[in-house]
Amino acid sequence: MLSVEGLVVRYGPIEAVRGIDFTVNRGEVFALLGANGAGKSSTLAAIAGLVKPFAGRITYDGKPVSGLPPETLSRAGIGLVPEGRRIFASLTVAENLWLGGAAHGSTAERQQLQKEMEERFPILGERARQKAGLLSGGEQQMLAIARALMARPKLLLLDEPSLGLAPQMVEKVFDLIAAMRKEGLTILLVEQNVPMSLQIADRGIVLANGHIVVSGTGVELLHNSDVTNAYLAA
Amino acid sequence: MEVFLQQCVNAISLGGIYALLALGLAVVFSIVRLINFAHGEVMTIAGYAIWLALLSSVPVVAAIILGITVAMLASVAMERIAFRAMRGASVTSLLITSFAVSEIVKVLFQNGISARPVPIVLPAWMSGSINMGFLTISVMSLISIIVVAVSLVALSVILTRTTLGVAMRAAAEDFPVVRLVGIKANHVVALAFAISGALAGVAAVLWVAQRGSVDPLMGAAPVLKAFIATVLGGLGSLSGAVLGGFVVGAVEVFLQGYLPESVAPYREAISLSIIIGLLVLRPDGLWPAQNVNRS
Repeated sequence: MLSVEGLVVRYGPIEAVRGIDFTVNRGEVFALLGANGAGKSSTLAAIAGLVKPFAGRITYDGKPVSGLPPETLSRAGIGLVPEGRRIFASLTVAENLWLGGAAHGSTAERQQLQKEMEERFPILGERARQKAGLLSGGEQQMLAIARALMARPKLLLLDEPSLGLAPQMVEKVFDLIAAMRKEGLTILLVEQNVPMSLQIADRGIVLANGHIVVSGTGVELLHNSDVTNAYLAA
Repeated sequence: MEVFLQQCVNAISLGGIYALLALGLAVVFSIVRLINFAHGEVMTIAGYAIWLALLSSVPVVAAIILGITVAMLASVAMERIAFRAMRGASVTSLLITSFAVSEIVKVLFQNGISARPVPIVLPAWMSGSINMGFLTISVMSLISIIVVAVSLVALSVILTRTTLGVAMRAAAEDFPVVRLVGIKANHVVALAFAISGALAGVAAVLWVAQRGSVDPLMGAAPVLKAFIATVLGGLGSLSGAVLGGFVVGAVEVFLQGYLPESVAPYREAISLSIIIGLLVLRPDGLWPAQNVNRS
């Protein structure tokens, strides 16, 4: 579904991603792991079109998509839940959801989907008229994911969805990821919670300094001493 | 008391024009971080469009609608031609670009039409006044107040009830994420410039109607005041821009009305000192933008 070949991302003279290759298959959860600054978020940003790759090829659904603007990629079915959630704090919860689907489908479809989201995440229905900035961290994360789902993505990129959340909220987020996979969504997951990510991931890679150091299935990575070392060293 | 009420009406009517202009600057700034010094020229363009329309014996109402439409298109065209190429550039580069656009338009009018003012004759009833018992209000002040009120309500409807309007508010907060959900950046930016231009057009109609003439530098003075108003209100805050506009208008009108003649020449200096004083007390402005969480 998604293939990344020789991806290089640069910010001026700084090279954040130094030529990585990986493929995400349809319907799987693919984990992108690594310490801070390893190049995980930059990889997601390049796939979603937030930064232009310096070199390399990104293919989505068989078509080259490197360097396309984020609005085009969103319309093609790539959704990103950005790091730090980045909900629109001064807008209401309902407005956040509405905007999530604004560029996708008819008004009736959007209203239907918004109702589904408010049923799936009851707190978002209860707080529909409240400013999103007043939600708790976990609720904001739910809103950020629901906002991305409003665009009916086929490939969902999740950037550190459990970061800074209370333990029971973390569990809720991972339950949600499992549920979304069951519904047929392909998920590319960036996480610092390695054990939980690898329990849920079909496959994954570990990045360090912009390179891939290990790759394998979730279970393989979970029992790989290099992975533990990479994190202990960080 | 009568004089005071009279001055209040004047303050609201002048402040309203500043508020419209300040709002136009703030709408654009909040989204593309551009302080558009060519905003005054949008006003001037609207003024000349009305002049030309009346000269060609177009009815007044149609000329006014034409003026506002032309301002809207001029503003969108400025973005397309000059500012889009500079998107993402530093605030300074954008500022200099807007100065360039402003100078080019001014010179075009100076050389193409005339450096001197051209008269605009509006129907006599517009320059009349209404006697409301103890208070006499000029028709133009009343029209200004009503038009400003209607414009503000219309804008708030656009910003809260339309998808692109909500997207504009979201873009002021975090533009990249608006693009991530699939909303086209160019549409949001074009809407911001269209709204900004329409507001400048409305302000131009009111300004021209009160002064009866158009000249190439017409927009410069009121937009400078409007810029002060946006800073006073809190740069990038829409509510702040409106509040700032009314405060700047009120300070100007009341100083004009109550300052003794001996210090009258220092009116501008005194009014700017008051505004500096307010900014010392509230450095982020009277009503700052909620969250400017970008670098």
